[in-house]
Amino acid sequence: MTIKARKLRFDTLLIHGGLEAGPAGATTVPVVQSSSFAHHTAEDLEDIFRGRKVGQVYTRIGNPTTESLEKRLALLEGGIAAIATASGMAAITTAVMTIVRSGDEILASSSLFGGTFSLFRDTLANYGIRAKFVDPTDITAVRNGITEQTRLIFVETIGNPKLDVPDIPAIAAAAQEAGVPLMVDATVTTPYLARGTELGADIVIHSTSKFINGTGSAIGGAIIDMGSFDWGSGKFPHFEPFAKKYRNFAFTARARKLIHKDFGACPAPMNSFLLTEGIETLALRMDRHCENAMQLARFLKGHDKVKWVNYPGLEDSPHHGVAKRLYKGKYSGLLTFGLADKSAAFRFINGVKLAKNLANIGDAKTLVIHPASTICSDFGPEEKALMGVTEELVRVSVGIEDIDDIIDDFAEALDNI
Amino acid sequence: MNLTVNGKPATIDRKETLNITALLDELKVAQPEYVTVELNGEILERDNFESTVVRNGDTVEFLYFMGGGN
Ligand SMILES: Cc1ncc(COP(=O)(O)O)c(C=O)c1O
Repeated sequence: MTIKARKLRFDTLLIHGGLEAGPAGATTVPVVQSSSFAHHTAEDLEDIFRGRKVGQVYTRIGNPTTESLEKRLALLEGGIAAIATASGMAAITTAVMTIVRSGDEILASSSLFGGTFSLFRDTLANYGIRAKFVDPTDITAVRNGITEQTRLIFVETIGNPKLDVPDIPAIAAAAQEAGVPLMVDATVTTPYLARGTELGADIVIHSTSKFINGTGSAIGGAIIDMGSFDWGSGKFPHFEPFAKKYRNFAFTARARKLIHKDFGACPAPMNSFLLTEGIETLALRMDRHCENAMQLARFLKGHDKVKWVNYPGLEDSPHHGVAKRLYKGKYSGLLTFGLADKSAAFRFINGVKLAKNLANIGDAKTLVIHPASTICSDFGPEEKALMGVTEELVRVSVGIEDIDDIIDDFAEALDNI
Repeated sequence: MNLTVNGKPATIDRKETLNITALLDELKVAQPEYVTVELNGEILERDNFESTVVRNGDTVEFLYFMGGGN
């Protein structure tokens, strides 16, 4: 990360950030498909292991292709360092386990992506880590949820699939007062709608599998450290040696030297390449995702077979005000809508021809799914209610096709229900 | 001025005193924005790089948390 690169504007950083000249003048990041890296002398490798020299050792720990992606993501979020991981869930697991220990509490949004919800509620509970879930749009509930044991607050910028929009700067203020770090999953908004620094996040998470990749061609995740949290406050004794030695890099240092290295959820270099390529067009794609989603939301709202439409871009959405303030009048590409019942939702999904029925978001292609019977099928009625998932609900990740073709496809499928 | 830098002797051919920022530049230390600097066994605050000068005989370590293992 050079000083010069820091001064470039966002859309330019998407293309040039973190990219150093490749061999023979290559303009794309080279795919360094090597497990390990040889060094001339025993002393060289000793220096790298002791931290006296920068150098690559082993692809689980670091890789030149992955490093380009990490530098670009750090610049885009306004952070000081980033760690790319094998998936979004790997990013969350690595980042959370870097912070919490047995006996600690996580204060989490009750409308999280299902994978994160089950990680917190079920998997981590087996290791003595307790999660407390609160409505993230209720700032009083967030404040009251913080206890002596809270060591992390975790929210999504726009909840998937509830599409609620918490006031993150307000949560950040509460977190700061309590001396607790705020981790924000910004998968749905991407740094294009708001950078981590603007939101007041301490750590930003992405499933880069989604909008950052943009074409549904690779799974990946990222952890971006804003360098804003004071890990040396005494509340995190396991951070003391890292805070002393690495100051505001303490989080990234602990993650890299322990959890990321030990859990081993590193990305494949080829995936880092695909993600670095994909991110170049993020700004253009996000604009189109947002415009198309707005138009589709308006079309669905006017359709007599559609009972309701949930999109933060709609003025009558309860989340419109906060979303407009935080994300500069852009509302991302996810919307949900309700039909008469589950059977109508199935008939609609079976009726679309252009849109794909699959479990993903953020692809260039328009995607539809019935969450209650698929991605949320393991959850009981109570959890489904928290996630805003009902039987008649269809989730749409609006793609970047010509909007008239998307609307034609939906219109035909709705007519045939 | 003779220093020990990362365990090896280093001679710096300059008359005037050097602060840490200038030393990072003089020794072309890689990725200076990430490096941790230890002067005679004490870790320096980044904010004090400008005001801390090195003297003949000092031991300096430049440490990274990236690559490597433990
Ligand atoms: C908001 C959000 N966070 C995290 C994830 C998990 O990411 P991944 O599938 O890359 O592990 C997803 C999607 O699956 C998501 O939508």
